[in-house]
Amino acid sequence: MGKLKIASYWAAACGGCDVAILDIHEKIVDVANIADIVFWPVATDFKEKDVEGYPDGYIDVTLFHGAIRNSENEHYAQLLRRKSKVLVAFGSCSMMGGIPGLANFKSRDGILSRVYLESPSTQNREGVLPQTRVEVPEGELELPYFYEDVKTLADVVDVDYFMPGCPPAPHQIWAVLQVIASGNLPPKGAVVGASDKSLCDECPRVKTEKKVKKFYRPHEIIPDPEKCLLEQGIVCMGPVTRGGCGAQCTRANMPCRGCYGPLDGVVDQGAKFVSTLASIVDADTPEEAEEIIGKIVDPAGTFYRFGLPGSLLRRARNA
Amino acid sequence: MRRITIDPITRLEGHGKINIFLDDTGAVKNVYFQVPELRGFEKFVEGRPAEEVPQIVSRICGV
Repeated sequence: MGKLKIASYWAAACGGCDVAILDIHEKIVDVANIADIVFWPVATDFKEKDVEGYPDGYIDVTLFHGAIRNSENEHYAQLLRRKSKVLVAFGSCSMMGGIPGLANFKSRDGILSRVYLESPSTQNREGVLPQTRVEVPEGELELPYFYEDVKTLADVVDVDYFMPGCPPAPHQIWAVLQVIASGNLPPKGAVVGASDKSLCDECPRVKTEKKVKKFYRPHEIIPDPEKCLLEQGIVCMGPVTRGGCGAQCTRANMPCRGCYGPLDGVVDQGAKFVSTLASIVDADTPEEAEEIIGKIVDPAGTFYRFGLPGSLLRRARNA
Repeated sequence: MRRITIDPITRLEGHGKINIFLDDTGAVKNVYFQVPELRGFEKFVEGRPAEEVPQIVSRICGV
């Protein structure tokens, strides 16, 4: 068998997924032994035209990071889908919308206005906003169209596998790369590089009884480093989040924010957490329950921190 | 007028595109640098608790 051809691309992303791939450290040399990289903007100098020149299906595996925020992101999703045998939605943004997906709490106009007109550090007296086409003396320049909604990769193209994480944990990336190299691919549509149990399952904190009388913000409490954060009244998405990351956040005294997405069989991670809350709030009356729950600041932005575009809600209605 | 397009700009975080226009003698007439990427952190951190913002804006650039 010849060497595998691998591509890695970022759409609306931060590059953290690319760095996570490099965080497999010297094993990247092993990857280079079994695979040729044919497109990877953060690390190599292939251009769009190079990819367009490849025959369809030329790339064995594309790891696609980032959400679909604009028409260029969608163009690359379609281009790489066509050129790739296997397309992986790699990381929370590509799989569920991720942090850029928080923009679905806002409107397109609101974002453009804030960024280009109202931002205190922006000087734009003529009120210029990005245009998809602009005439300059030498010719025409183009920019992508900024969509109203952030979408997931699977919203715009057929996706073979989903790999969650913000970013995916390097040991999981290595495991997935080994599976790719072996050729024994899982069934289409599988979530790869993650556990099928919740984050709590791999979190070392001691869990006893989940009965919460009060929710706290960080400045109101010094958490016990041994005990379950949620039991201490700190909003932690662990019970409704897929494990596999190694519980890096909760081990560092930080609550889980859900970047590995929902567990199998759960459609909406945020709604599932609302259900979790309903079962742990220790209230005798509806009023007391409301008071306890009311202490949670920004519930939507917290429960849908990484997954609003991929959720049932998809976006805020009156943004 | 000849145009050289460099797209995407590579080996940096983010998206960039450069158009170089050359005149008839092959000298550079003008250069346009474009950033086709926008996510809108400035807007979507509004409404988020202050203590959550460091974890959100750390995703501006992960390189």
